[in-house]
Amino acid sequence: MYELDATADVLLMTPQANAATQQVKETAVEAVLVGAALEGDREGFGRLYDLYAPLVHGILLARVPRAEVADLVQDIFLHAYRKLHTLRDRAAFGPWIAMIARNRAVDFHRRTRETVELTDDVRGSNTSDSRANEILELIRNLPEAYRETLVLRLVEGMTGPEIAVRTGLTPASVRVNLHRGMKLLREKLRFTEGI
Amino acid sequence: MNDDYLWDKTGEADPEIRQLEELLAPLRYQPRPLELPEELPLAPKRNYLPLLAIAATVVIALLAAGVWVRLRNEKVAPAPVQAKSAAPVPGPSVVHEETPTPVIAENRNVPNKPVHRHSSRTSKPGMTKVEREEALAAKQQVMLALRVASEKIKLAQRRTLTPSPNLIKNQHKLG
Repeated sequence: MYELDATADVLLMTPQANAATQQVKETAVEAVLVGAALEGDREGFGRLYDLYAPLVHGILLARVPRAEVADLVQDIFLHAYRKLHTLRDRAAFGPWIAMIARNRAVDFHRRTRETVELTDDVRGSNTSDSRANEILELIRNLPEAYRETLVLRLVEGMTGPEIAVRTGLTPASVRVNLHRGMKLLREKLRFTEGI
Repeated sequence: MNDDYLWDKTGEADPEIRQLEELLAPLRYQPRPLELPEELPLAPKRNYLPLLAIAATVVIALLAAGVWVRLRNEKVAPAPVQAKSAAPVPGPSVVHEETPTPVIAENRNVPNKPVHRHSSRTSKPGMTKVEREEALAAKQQVMLALRVASEKIKLAQRRTLTPSPNLIKNQHKLG
């Protein structure tokens, strides 16, 4: 059913067609790069890293202290390189590495205390940095479904269709998460400004 | 609120979202080269050895089962030759010595079957000597049971057709 809808979108070149075409292209590129990396092409894996590092960064930023994110991104890609042979569907590299990132964030919280996160993030080098951390903290307090999508959109600068393609979520889910998450964030921002 | 701008950055920009994007820009991913160690082993190719071992075990088990079944059949096959030279059928006098109670129980299953079929079964080539003897004994039991049953039927018929002279009818009325 969804495949038929997607095919129809592509044929009619509706607005959804762009997203569908983009998805087809990206998944094809992913599959080729994963295949190359499995055959020992380190540059192929480097390309995958360039494509997906912002996604992994955004997923981690929505969950773990900012100071830890850069090192965790490297760790996750090293882990993915070692375990790449376990990836069954080569075109699903994005959802696969997104899941690794989420699991790694959960592991991080098991090992460390929440207090470390607060002291690291609230402290900023200047006023704008401090304000950014405050807003990030507000986003992190939103329900889990919204915070990741909002960080990818507002911090990493991805569009809704890009988020859908790279995370493996449906465009409809991403749209709903963005809309509802943004509504909640606006309410929280007004509340904090009122105080 | 402009949903299009939030969704795919098209249409008129929402000032609040623009402001948030600018504020959060310092947190954005800063490209950093991936440091893959040189000695990092390449992802291993799929190891088919366990699958091969399982397949080989299954094949060996199947072959062993086949050989066992064949040997078993070969052991059973010479029996008909012995059956042809089996001892003669025991006489009916031996059968009469047995207790009649189990014979009546077997009577229900057999009565419609002709006797000559049983005799042909006893001479089947696949039967061993012991089986043949058992079959003959069973046949004798069946024959005895049939005789007992027919005697009982005859007795019952006689009783129904010829009423007893001593029978007192409507005894309760007279009493």
